[in-house]
Amino acid sequence: MADVIHIQMPFWQLSLMVVVPPSILIALVVWLRQLILARSMPGEEPDWSVPPLEAAERGSLLHRWDVRCKIVTILAYSFMVAALQHIGSALVAIAISCLVLVVSRASLSRVTMRLLAIAGFVSMFIVVMPFTVPARDGDTVFVINQMTWLGVNLRGLLLAATIAAKAVAITLLMEPLLSTAPLPVTLQGLSRLGAPEIIGQMVLLSYRYLHVFRHEARRMSAGMQVRGFRKRTDIATLRAVANFLGMLFVRSFERTERVFDAMRARGYKGKMPEQLELKLHGADLLAAGLWMTAGIVLILFDRLG
Amino acid sequence: MHISDGVLPISVTIGGYVACAALAAWSARRTHSDELPKLAVVTAAFFVASLIHVPFGPTSVHLIIPGLTGALLGPSAFLSIGLGLVLQSLLFQFGGLTALGANALMMGLPALACGWFFQKFKGQTRTRQAVTGGLAGAAGTILAAIILALLLATGGEDFFGVAKIALAAHIPVILIEGGISAFTVGFLARVKPALLQPSFVHLAKRPHG
Repeated sequence: MADVIHIQMPFWQLSLMVVVPPSILIALVVWLRQLILARSMPGEEPDWSVPPLEAAERGSLLHRWDVRCKIVTILAYSFMVAALQHIGSALVAIAISCLVLVVSRASLSRVTMRLLAIAGFVSMFIVVMPFTVPARDGDTVFVINQMTWLGVNLRGLLLAATIAAKAVAITLLMEPLLSTAPLPVTLQGLSRLGAPEIIGQMVLLSYRYLHVFRHEARRMSAGMQVRGFRKRTDIATLRAVANFLGMLFVRSFERTERVFDAMRARGYKGKMPEQLELKLHGADLLAAGLWMTAGIVLILFDRLG
Repeated sequence: MHISDGVLPISVTIGGYVACAALAAWSARRTHSDELPKLAVVTAAFFVASLIHVPFGPTSVHLIIPGLTGALLGPSAFLSIGLGLVLQSLLFQFGGLTALGANALMMGLPALACGWFFQKFKGQTRTRQAVTGGLAGAAGTILAAIILALLLATGGEDFFGVAKIALAAHIPVILIEGGISAFTVGFLARVKPALLQPSFVHLAKRPHG
């Protein structure tokens, strides 16, 4: 019967252990964000009112893969990864995701952006969990001079790291899933898989108008700045931002009617033309089968190994 | 705050997807099918609104506005929020793929509750509408935070600490959301009261130039 193992540790050593990994992570995040911001600085701001619906033609294996197979496989595989329980198999999952990234020739900066987006949530786990996970039998807890209430639980750290690894493994797959086919084709695949057609069309439509409204919002906020508005923590700022939102809503609601009338005038009857004919080949199914097998092996390795 | 992949137990994520699909189907049924393309355009506006950051002391928080979405869209709000989350994963790189259902519940259920609350108590005067809107906005964030904490807590005892901290992190957001929602509803009551009517169908009946 194993009790909780308390390891005494001098204060500086423990604080080093707790402070160093998150600060390295945060520094990395800040650095990467600046790097990417610097790269997409003025002058290169793309015109969002012309949405990039077509992915750049790259033609990797994943680009040629049948879109239905791709969606089903990646979704099912993601659930398998989410079900993993050990850090070892989660790291293997990251390796598999990296392999897929290389094969699909995904854009590195977009992948980094995705990773940065989850960094905040995941680092909350890494910082908080070592302190809050209750000590169980067999746990190793680092404490300073009997201060057991501030023990760093190794199991908590491991649990948080496993969660982080799984999150990273799945996030890495988002780019191969979404950007290896033009958005309309992905949505067509989704509707062929049984999702109501209107859902895909709504996504397409709001995707287009999103850029229009962003443009509009940017123009409005430029106007506010010219009139001397600066954001502060006070009621006046709240009021100004609220008026801004209200105006955005009023304009968009008015626009919807015009958009819809224009669509109907061009013959919209609740359907958009199909993008291309989807054909299922043996190779598509084979690839799906291979990938699923990899996922099942991973799960078995996780549960038995 | 969105839940990322790999956090929730697998049964909860699948349950989230099922519940989310059922609610989305209900929400779509409550919206006239002719209105769905319009809802899509409106969703884009809400999405842009959620990108706005409001300063809070040294940091800034970005708006979530589940309460405001519910107040303006009523039962259609759930569909709109689900759509918003899909867009978020397409564009802004944030999207828990497996946690999508759970995230939609976390934002969508408060929106439905707040929409009901707003329509029930908004009254006639502008001040009252603004106050009700503010309460709905604050309540939306509180509910979202509670659902987030409950979802995290399904992971077992190990996750209780994280759940508590996530709950506490929402307190500044609640204040800001409440204030913004109150002022926005006040603005709309002055400028275009038709938007505050119960149903999406009433939105833009009049022809526009």
